[in-house]
Amino acid sequence: MTVASPALAIETTVRSRQLSMRQTIAMAKRSTYEIARQPALIAPSMFFPIFFAVLSASSFSRTTSIPGFPKVESFMQFTLASTIVQGVLFGSVTGAAALATDIEIGFFDRLLLAPTTRTGILLGRLAGSAIFGLFQSAFFLAVLVPFDAPITAGIPGALVMVLSGGIVSLAIGAIMSSVAIRTGSAEAVQGAFPLLFVLLFFSSAFFPRETMSGAYKRIADINPISYLVEGLRALVLEGFTFSAVIRSLLVPTLICLAAILFALKELRRKLAAL
Amino acid sequence: MNSFSSSHADPIVAQNLVRYFGDVKAVDGINITVKTGEIFGFLGPNGAGKSTAVRMLTTLLRPTSGTATVAGFDVAKHPDEVRRRIGVALQDAAIDPLMTGTELLRLQAVLYGIPQAQMKNRASELLERVGLTAAADRRVGTYSGGMRRRLDLALALIHQPTVLFLDEPTTGLDPMSRMSLWEEVRRLNNEGTTVMLTTQYLEEADQLADRIAIIDAGKIVREGKPQDLKAGVGFPTLLITVPSDQTERAKAVLATFGDMRPTAEGSLGVGLRGGANVVTDVVRKLDEASVRVQHLEINEPSLDDVFAEATGHRLEGAKA
Amino acid sequence: MSTNVTTTQVMTAPVADLVARPTTMRSARGLAHRGIQNIRRLPSAFFPAMAMPVFTMIAFAGTFAAITRLPGFPTDRSVNWFMPLGICFGAAFSGIGLGFSTIRDIETRFYDRLLMSPAPRRSLIIGPLLTAWVRVAILCAFVIPMGMLLGVRFTSGLLGLFTLVVAAVGVSTISLGWGLGLAFRFRDMRGAAVMQLTMFVVLYLSSAQMPLPLMRGWLHNVARINPTTNILRLAREGLVLKTSPDYMSWSNTWGGLLAIAGMATLTLVFARRGLDKLDK
Repeated sequence: MTVASPALAIETTVRSRQLSMRQTIAMAKRSTYEIARQPALIAPSMFFPIFFAVLSASSFSRTTSIPGFPKVESFMQFTLASTIVQGVLFGSVTGAAALATDIEIGFFDRLLLAPTTRTGILLGRLAGSAIFGLFQSAFFLAVLVPFDAPITAGIPGALVMVLSGGIVSLAIGAIMSSVAIRTGSAEAVQGAFPLLFVLLFFSSAFFPRETMSGAYKRIADINPISYLVEGLRALVLEGFTFSAVIRSLLVPTLICLAAILFALKELRRKLAAL
Repeated sequence: MNSFSSSHADPIVAQNLVRYFGDVKAVDGINITVKTGEIFGFLGPNGAGKSTAVRMLTTLLRPTSGTATVAGFDVAKHPDEVRRRIGVALQDAAIDPLMTGTELLRLQAVLYGIPQAQMKNRASELLERVGLTAAADRRVGTYSGGMRRRLDLALALIHQPTVLFLDEPTTGLDPMSRMSLWEEVRRLNNEGTTVMLTTQYLEEADQLADRIAIIDAGKIVREGKPQDLKAGVGFPTLLITVPSDQTERAKAVLATFGDMRPTAEGSLGVGLRGGANVVTDVVRKLDEASVRVQHLEINEPSLDDVFAEATGHRLEGAKA
Repeated sequence: MSTNVTTTQVMTAPVADLVARPTTMRSARGLAHRGIQNIRRLPSAFFPAMAMPVFTMIAFAGTFAAITRLPGFPTDRSVNWFMPLGICFGAAFSGIGLGFSTIRDIETRFYDRLLMSPAPRRSLIIGPLLTAWVRVAILCAFVIPMGMLLGVRFTSGLLGLFTLVVAAVGVSTISLGWGLGLAFRFRDMRGAAVMQLTMFVVLYLSSAQMPLPLMRGWLHNVARINPTTNILRLAREGLVLKTSPDYMSWSNTWGGLLAIAGMATLTLVFARRGLDKLDK
């Protein structure tokens, strides 16, 4: 019997880290291609947010004069931030559906048994959604900004918005993964989506909080989505401020971290039960 | 009764029936005449065009060309008259799993215009007949495959049709359920119902049908009474299995006793001209040629031989 | 066999003639009965049609509460404005939902059974139509009281309730025709996506969110010619302020009725043509 030397142990660790990294990248590639190869699936999440943005810009153009409405150049400018969040939400349905399918066909279980880190598996699986989120955000800005919706914070502001879109997508993916891992059911994942839309609607995403009243305002006040959208909106309306950047990036990052930690906990619980 | 002439009274008559799907010719000019009171078997492998032909005869598909009359009415010109007179049990027993057996029968009764007063009796009578009385109020989703098929048959009988189409009625059923369905089909036929049965099972066609038509690649390749068709093949088939390196030598020997016949992979078959009497001669010759026989059997001509002779290949899944 | 032949001809040939021909209404009622039973047995398929209008009403009325402050807005209660929209959405989904179940029936081949029956072809459309209407009745019975709890007030009393229900029934009829027509043409779940997408777009490109006079630009031009705007005006005429030009009057009613009649005729003919082509 041979005793492993310290040098060999270090080498093994380095090798397993490299292997784990390679697997994460492979997973990330797979999940990205998977989305890119299904244009029919992603088309609605590109089309609908643009449709709704254009629709509300025309529908609600006069509402910008209502007392309490922030000073904007157009309703389109106001709605730019919510279009990103809403679009990314739509888009991550695709990623979560893929994850749910993975679970149903047992692919996820097979991955869990592979000699790689759990975080790697999870992040790799969600990478496709995150990259798609970045792409969607950039696309929405490119299409909508020319329609009287300038970003006051300029190009750095636009970059922060795109990055925020990616993180939001990752966060939603992580939340859905928790649901998927916990329930092991594709139906539960799909069923959880309307809840996210409810959360979006009961926030200041589509209209300013200043104009709301009663119970609705109280819900919007405690809804984290309100702060996320308002952070992005501040970049559009006010400029590149520290507070705007923090709100745009910190809120989704915190949600994302919490969701990933929760998903990993669920994963550990599931593995312990195996 | 002359099987090959048709008269107005013949319940099913198809003439030059053709159906295309895009560029694919699924049914290629078939002619069928089914006589009153017959069980007519329509035999062929999956994808041969059986179901397409039946879908045309049951008004579900319009023929691309050709004509067909069922129960005396043209399927394309008077589909409603045809529908009132035929009963159809479908290939995969498409039944709404959320409904109960009774509910489905009642819906079927309504769709066939059975008067309200007779509906209840008719439904319970049919449930009794197919042995589903105890399961009548259970959702169909909980039924076994055999129960579904029996319910399907009951549904097809709700209006006492004169012509009954059974499309692969026993596919996927266990032997017991298959036998009980055969019994029921015979009983119906004895009561006077003309039956057209499509099947990919040789035994089913052999057991049930008065006459059969063999369809392959959209064309009818043989038609007649099973015993006549089998007699037409002539000699019994001798099947042998030999080590693979001796196959060629064995073939050379067998060829001197008759025509080689298609077989399942791994065995050799010959239509034995001299019948069972020459088996010992065959074995001796094989022995002289240093062929070691691992397995030997002699089969009287079967429908599969008829099929093989007509098409050059054996029916998928059928015993060789 | 030859003895049987004679018996058969004597016995069975007249049977079909003794049996009464199935009538359109009886067959349609039979099919509707099945559809209504399925609401109870597969609630998950019906749930979105109930949840969506409630959600639309609450979320839109809350988010866009401030739009009633715009000068010229026809009501001072945002729930009064958005409840009819929610109901029309729900009604549209009631019709389309039956398009979905027809696709399911086609895919599972249950529909073959219906097609092979001698039931008059129009009953295969009228049956689901009756189901859609029952769904709308359930929807109204659920959403309207809920709206009233949230502050909805009918400014023209029962007449307003009546015009709202008429509009909802109209929308469900239109969407049923559209849903069935697409189901018969696509025959698989691709049809479902097209149904949803088109209904969404047609409903939104109208006065769904904002009254016509308060809109600007391209949407104003589209909404003005979109017949759905007339139907929504009919749905809302009993809920707007008495002083509003949109308040209950014949001139605000006939346009909606005409739009329903026209669109329903078109979509139902579309459905019938599709049904007739199913054997092609």
